[in-house]
This record gives sequence, structure tokens and C-alpha cells, in this order.
Amino acid sequence: MVPLENYLALSAILFSLGVYGVLARRNAILVLMAVELMLNAVSLNFIAFAAYLDPERITGAVFAIFVITVAAAEVGLALAIIIRLYRNRATSNVDEVATLKW
Amino acid sequence: MNATEVVWWVFAVATVALSAGVVFSRSVIHSAIFLIGSLGGVGAMYVILTVEFLALVQFLIYGGAVTVLILLALMLTRQSVSGEPEKVTGVQAPFGILVGGLLMAILIGSAVGTDWPNDVDDTPTNIPIETISEQLFDTFGVPFIIASVLLLVALVGAIILARQEEGDA
Repeated sequence: MVPLENYLALSAILFSLGVYGVLARRNAILVLMAVELMLNAVSLNFIAFAAYLDPERITGAVFAIFVITVAAAEVGLALAIIIRLYRNRATSNVDEVATLKW
Repeated sequence: MNATEVVWWVFAVATVALSAGVVFSRSVIHSAIFLIGSLGGVGAMYVILTVEFLALVQFLIYGGAVTVLILLALMLTRQSVSGEPEKVTGVQAPFGILVGGLLMAILIGSAVGTDWPNDVDDTPTNIPIETISEQLFDTFGVPFIIASVLLLVALVGAIILARQEEGDA
């Protein structure tokens, strides 16, 4: 059977790809997609732990449900902000939106 | 290698390849299409872990709703106004590769190096949907209600942010 370490390694690779995407890509929607990748990696980790190590209480699986809920809310809000931003500034490049940066 | 392992490796390689496509592809639309596949691959992992309910939730919410939302937002924000191809990555790209690579090495190293208490059988336990509902509505009842309020607030906030105001062009 597949050992737990395989799931943890897969989730680590997905999370690192997400970190690279958030840091390197400049399109706001792509940054959001990379965040989704990271959240997915975390959910996979939680569920793997629940199925292998905690099958009686399955806290990990319940937590994954909450992660999915918050991710859905986050995507809706972030896309509303990005559309608003595009209407006001005609860009979705995060480098050009630096008013709060000093 | 038995059948489960073969299926696992096929889906693992596909998921990693599609996720790499999300962050490295030049076209944002291609990234969104790759994202659907990557989220579906993680859903397949849930099926192999025998957590069918969460696999269903994954396919419905991520594979369906979230990706459709992202594709719609891509449609509403034209990517290159001036016509010249937009820069894919900023000056932060080498730093991103450094941090991502280091993080991957640390995470995989600690995951493989730790002595997990299940090392005898290596079999995931099936999580029945009854157990999930008992936990969700009993032990985690209050967080469940708070999550529903959070969804409502996020929904109203998104509508207020995105709506066309009086006087907007």
C-alpha cells in the first residue's frame, strides 16, 4: 500500500509550487490560483493524517472541510477585489498596485 | 507494486505536472485550465485515501465552482491592454525559486525523516460519511455555524465590492 510519507511528499511539492507562484507571478488572478494550490496541499495533508493516524476522531477531515469553506469565501472576495481594481486602474498586475508600499 | 500504488503514482505525477503548469505556464487561461486538472488530481488522491465525501466536495466546489469563478474573472479583466505581451514573472522570480526549493527540501526531509506511528500496515482507514457528520454537527458544531456566518459575510462583501456604483463610468 501507499505509505503516509508519499502523501506528505506530494503535498510538500504542491505547497512549494504554490509558494513559488505567489512570490514570482505578477498577475493577481494567478497569485490567487497559486494560493488555491497551497490550500489544496494543506487539505491533502490534513486528510492523509486523518485517514492514517486519527481514524476515530477524524479531526483532519473536518478541518479540511473548513479549509475548503474558507477557500471558497476567499476566492469570491479576492476576485471581487481584483475586478474592482481592474475597473479603477485597468491592471491586474500586483507590481503596479503599490500605493500602500513605501 | 500493486494496483493501488500504480494508480497512486499515475495521479501523483499528473497532479505535480499540472500544478507546475499552473505556476509556470505563460498564458493565464492555460494556468486556469491546468488548475482544474490539478484540483481534480488532488480529488483523486482523496478517493485513493477512501474519503469519498471529501472527494465529492473537492470535485464540486473546487473543480466546479472555484475554477468557473476564476475563468469568469479572467474574462472580465483583459490581461494586456497595450498589446505587448505582459511580463510573466517579476524580479522576485529567483527569490521565489530559492524559497520554494528550500521549503520543499525541508518539508520532504522532515516528512520522510519522522517516524510515524502507523509504519506497520501503511493502510488508510476508510472514513465513513456518518463519522464526518457526527463530528461536524456535534463536536465542531460552533465552528460550523461560525463558518456559515463567514460565508454569508463574504458573499455580501463580494457583492458590495464588485457592484457598479452610481457615477461609475
